[in-house]
Amino acid sequence: MTEWFNAWHQWLFEQVVQPALYRFGWMSFDEMAYDWTHLFLLGALELVALWIVIRPLELWLPVERWEDRKATRVDVFYTLLARLGILPIFFFIVLTPAFDWVNAEIRLAGIIPPSFDNLFLYLVILDFADYWRHRWEHRFNIWWALHAVHHSQRQMTFWTDEREHLLGQLIAAAGRAAVGLAVGAPPAAFLTVTLVTGAIESFSHANVKLSFGWLGDRLIVSPLFHRVHHAIGIGHTGRVMGCNFASVLPVWDILFGTANFTHAFLPTGIDDQLTGRDYGEGFWKQQALAFRRMF
Amino acid sequence: MHYFCFGLLLSFSLAAAPGIAIVLNSGDETLSLIDANTQRETKRVAIGKEPHHLMATPDDKFIIIANAASNELVFLDRTTGEIKNKVKNISDPYQIGYSPDKKWFVSVSLRLNRVDIYKPDNFQIVKRLSLPKAPSHLAYSPDSKTVFITLQDTNQLAAIDLETQTIAWKLPIGKQPAGILMTPDGKYLLIGILGENYVDVIDWRAKKRVKKIFTGKGAHNFVRLGDGKHVFLSNRAENTISKINMETLEVVDSYPAPGGPDCMDVTSDQRYLWMTSRWARKVSILDLQTKTIVKQIPVGRSPHGIYLSSHAPRK
Repeated sequence: MTEWFNAWHQWLFEQVVQPALYRFGWMSFDEMAYDWTHLFLLGALELVALWIVIRPLELWLPVERWEDRKATRVDVFYTLLARLGILPIFFFIVLTPAFDWVNAEIRLAGIIPPSFDNLFLYLVILDFADYWRHRWEHRFNIWWALHAVHHSQRQMTFWTDEREHLLGQLIAAAGRAAVGLAVGAPPAAFLTVTLVTGAIESFSHANVKLSFGWLGDRLIVSPLFHRVHHAIGIGHTGRVMGCNFASVLPVWDILFGTANFTHAFLPTGIDDQLTGRDYGEGFWKQQALAFRRMF
Repeated sequence: MHYFCFGLLLSFSLAAAPGIAIVLNSGDETLSLIDANTQRETKRVAIGKEPHHLMATPDDKFIIIANAASNELVFLDRTTGEIKNKVKNISDPYQIGYSPDKKWFVSVSLRLNRVDIYKPDNFQIVKRLSLPKAPSHLAYSPDSKTVFITLQDTNQLAAIDLETQTIAWKLPIGKQPAGILMTPDGKYLLIGILGENYVDVIDWRAKKRVKKIFTGKGAHNFVRLGDGKHVFLSNRAENTISKINMETLEVVDSYPAPGGPDCMDVTSDQRYLWMTSRWARKVSILDLQTKTIVKQIPVGRSPHGIYLSSHAPRK
């Protein structure tokens, strides 16, 4: 399987990507483009696998049935942008100079984070960081203005996971990369954890009436657990402006008092959508309205 | 068919060489040790972040590995690959090199756009120079007074005066210059032009290009055959190796090199050329007589630097 994947990676890079780099005078980026091709292929494979596994479940055990699925189309676009490496490559180009500089200064100060041969450890660390980033996205109004794009989906499916404002995604990517850098995560480990996390997050957004049981819901974020986070009247209310912020491990919500194990598959969205607030249906309108809410 | 198999077996046994090969898997933070005789990877060990290039110490006892993102040099026993020493606080060493008189040790920081000059006896920094974008590979003048550095993202060649430790001059050259090598007569610099399909020949005293040697797309890096006359160049996007006569400055032969050839080394009998195939995650062994790839050895991700303990003379 690995051999097969590597052969495809090599073929795609040598036959399509590298000739384009050469043609446009971008050969300096060949190593980065090689990594991007890897990300693109992995993302495409993951999406196909998720569709094969999750879509039948959505048809078999749906929480909600809709007349049409028009509202979900924009989420497909967000997902392709993110999972096929288009946004990551853009973020990489934007963030790399700053990260190289910070990295160099840290290393010159004699701080070289150790690398561990333990994927689960990196998953735990990155998931912990994700929990707090997500909590603050709800806590601070200016950040919530961006994150509301994600919560405004009232037809939540497994495509909804990547529905996020571009600026919000850039901030999240920078934070995640900073944590990865600080804990010395090797590129392969970082990529693997990102793929695993992405798969679990896609599944947790699925329109599937599914819980992992009393214990399972406390071990891994399930569609039930995460639907409560998106529920109108629950997902963005209360003392900490929401509940069930974890991406993969509900233990963070349990530890920090934000877990809500309500066993109800509730409608999703933001409260003020019921009174007519418009968060936009199309990609560009959603992006623009978020900026308007910020200021 | 039998003859074909016999020929294949013969070429395998001929390709056998004494010693080890050390390969840096730059995308994996590991190095691969390969038994050159059996042509199998015997060990893969964690070495540090982003190991790209390696070189022998002037006494040829150790191999120095430059771990760019770990800010360190790792010294290995050149015959066993065993880690013997680490030198910390070498900032972002991408490409490294001793001056011919062994008075200076220069480290090039590709991502941080600078060149650091060290005293090689204690690796104390003497001077840090800022350069335009992406300083890449280096070569010295025979008198050790100047180090030349290719600037990959500004399409220039920079000359640094090692006596005054200042940038002496810069010269526009081809797109995305990479590997650089001084001809044995000390007259010319050969520079692989990665963004195009040729080698720039620079008369460094006159500070001008005297010739373009057309080789193949993505002209990248050099290794000497060891006869004092020929050098090999990897053409990364063309998937070929060119053999260049350094006296006539002409391409005299060409070889297949699948998978994005990068760094190379030549066996002591000058019959085989080992190369890292970046995009194939393999080391490829080229038979220079039959012009065929006789073996590909799986290694780690994005293999870059390679060293054979039993290599051809460096001339």
